[in-house]
Amino acid sequence: MGAVDFSKVRLEQRTLAGVKIPVAVVPRIKKQSYLEKILIALKGLMKGMRLTFGYLIHPSRIVTQQYPENRATLKFPERYRANLKLIYDENGYHLCGGCKMCEKACPNASIKVLNRKGPVTGKLELDRYIWRMDSCTFCNLCVMACPSDALQMTHQFENAVYDRRLLIYNLNRYAGPPAEAMAKLDEEARKQAMEPRDVYGGPVPLNGEPLPNIPPIVIAGEEKAASETPPSTEGPAA
Amino acid sequence: MAVKVKTLEELLKPPAEAASALSTQEYYVNMGPQHPISHGSLRFVVRLDGETAKEVMPVPGYVHRGIEKMCEHLSYRQMVHLSDRMDYFSALMGNWAVSKTVEHAAGIELNDRIEIIRTIMAELQRVQSHVLWWAVLGMDMGAATAFLYGFREREIIGEIFEETIGARLTMNYIQPGGVMYDIQPGFVAKVKKLISYLRPVIDEYDTLLSGNVILQERLRNVGVLDPKLALSMGCTGPVLRASGVPLDLRKVQPYGAYAKADFNVAVGSKGDSWDRYYVRVQEMRESLRIVEQLLDGIPEGPHMVMKPAVRIKVPEGMFYGQLETSRGILGLTLVSDGKGAGPIRAHFRSPNYNNLWVISALAPGWRVADTIAILSSLDLVIPEIDR
Repeated sequence: MGAVDFSKVRLEQRTLAGVKIPVAVVPRIKKQSYLEKILIALKGLMKGMRLTFGYLIHPSRIVTQQYPENRATLKFPERYRANLKLIYDENGYHLCGGCKMCEKACPNASIKVLNRKGPVTGKLELDRYIWRMDSCTFCNLCVMACPSDALQMTHQFENAVYDRRLLIYNLNRYAGPPAEAMAKLDEEARKQAMEPRDVYGGPVPLNGEPLPNIPPIVIAGEEKAASETPPSTEGPAA
Repeated sequence: MAVKVKTLEELLKPPAEAASALSTQEYYVNMGPQHPISHGSLRFVVRLDGETAKEVMPVPGYVHRGIEKMCEHLSYRQMVHLSDRMDYFSALMGNWAVSKTVEHAAGIELNDRIEIIRTIMAELQRVQSHVLWWAVLGMDMGAATAFLYGFREREIIGEIFEETIGARLTMNYIQPGGVMYDIQPGFVAKVKKLISYLRPVIDEYDTLLSGNVILQERLRNVGVLDPKLALSMGCTGPVLRASGVPLDLRKVQPYGAYAKADFNVAVGSKGDSWDRYYVRVQEMRESLRIVEQLLDGIPEGPHMVMKPAVRIKVPEGMFYGQLETSRGILGLTLVSDGKGAGPIRAHFRSPNYNNLWVISALAPGWRVADTIAILSSLDLVIPEIDR
């Protein structure tokens, strides 16, 4: 006999704003004398302790994971959202046509897609796919917005580095046309169309500094101040 | 009942000097902003006489990120991911509140599948949120075991979310026009297993903490909130329901698939900390009932009624949408000029902001340890207060 009978939830009908609402009135603690209180307290404590000791002698019910010792056996659900990557087909060609839909969908400007005029095809193609992990919120909107399914969220979640600049990645392995356009080219032209790109290739700007080849944002009324600071003239390194 | 508003002059008056050598002198103490009981960065200025709190003044604003201003620069789709970061224990309900308002404004019709998936997910999140609140209340009262047990259940529910959504905390799952992913094939079986696991666990909670006399003595008759005062201060959620007012938007203005489910609204009879405690424990059971009833009736259909990259057109005007999160009524006002991809003004009516100020009415006269019991029973999430 405890101080509260937890099974005693009183069911009632109440009316609020003309709507009939079935309510469950929660149980209250009964009034007890001092001696009763001591007895009930001892009983309640014993019950609680029996529960904790029950878990102590049944370790199979413990769900704690021993990270990082279990890194090799860590299981991820298929949809787990961590670092972004460009998908490559079996020939090693990416699927990104550089349409910038992901850049527009990104809520915090973590994605910058730079295009160039292709030396072989003469059309616009992907030059750099810059993803700023440091400002990414893993909201998945870029993956959803991509019309050619070129993006994917991987299961790589360990991102500790010593310098924040190392969190700005260049996702494409090469600058050049996507797999679709590559299929139309012959072997020699494919080699000419591709230019290798490193993960950290090119100058990596600090947060807030202008990106190479991108004019700085000009806020109305501050045009003069913006024109005084010359934009970065450094081109992307090959 | 009118709430007495204090002037700045009254708030800033120096503590009273001791009347004689035998009586004590009043003094001010800062509780927080960096303190485990504040559940985040929230500061309380407490005027103390001995150990009795004479006045408790909340000072919010330490986690202000300007979410409402940021919404003005984002599109309706992008706004959703910011609502995760307000009340992160009911992230899905935050997503839903934004989506619901945008759908109402843009006139998007949803199918039954989307509504039922949203309802199931939101109710699972409510259980997850209340489990964590229970764990933290135990921790505040000095029961570290409860903290670990609560986190165990939270992780088990989190794994279900992770499988279907891909994230555990900031999910960005409920989108205007549907949900981001369809449910996994094994989702229904897994949730059924979870319900059969959680039912005895919630009874275990009663054995472990609710049945403990120390906890009962610390919560009973502490911080009695009058229903009239609660209504006049704009309290919602379990805080208001514990005072006996059955205001629950799931019943009063049914949205989603709540009209299809049979459940009771848990209410208290006195409005003290115990009622606020047990209303939430009871709500966990009711939420499991809702999920159980809806699981078998998920109809076939698409999980999105519009393509994920299509721009949402909202006509010119002001729109409001609200729903019940685990802490009360979350409302969103949108002002649209009918041209841009996003709102020109957005304002969130957050339940925690109104629930917070109750502390200044409840705490005076209680000891410092009791103010912590009252604070814990209010279940505040600070990032939603500050936004």
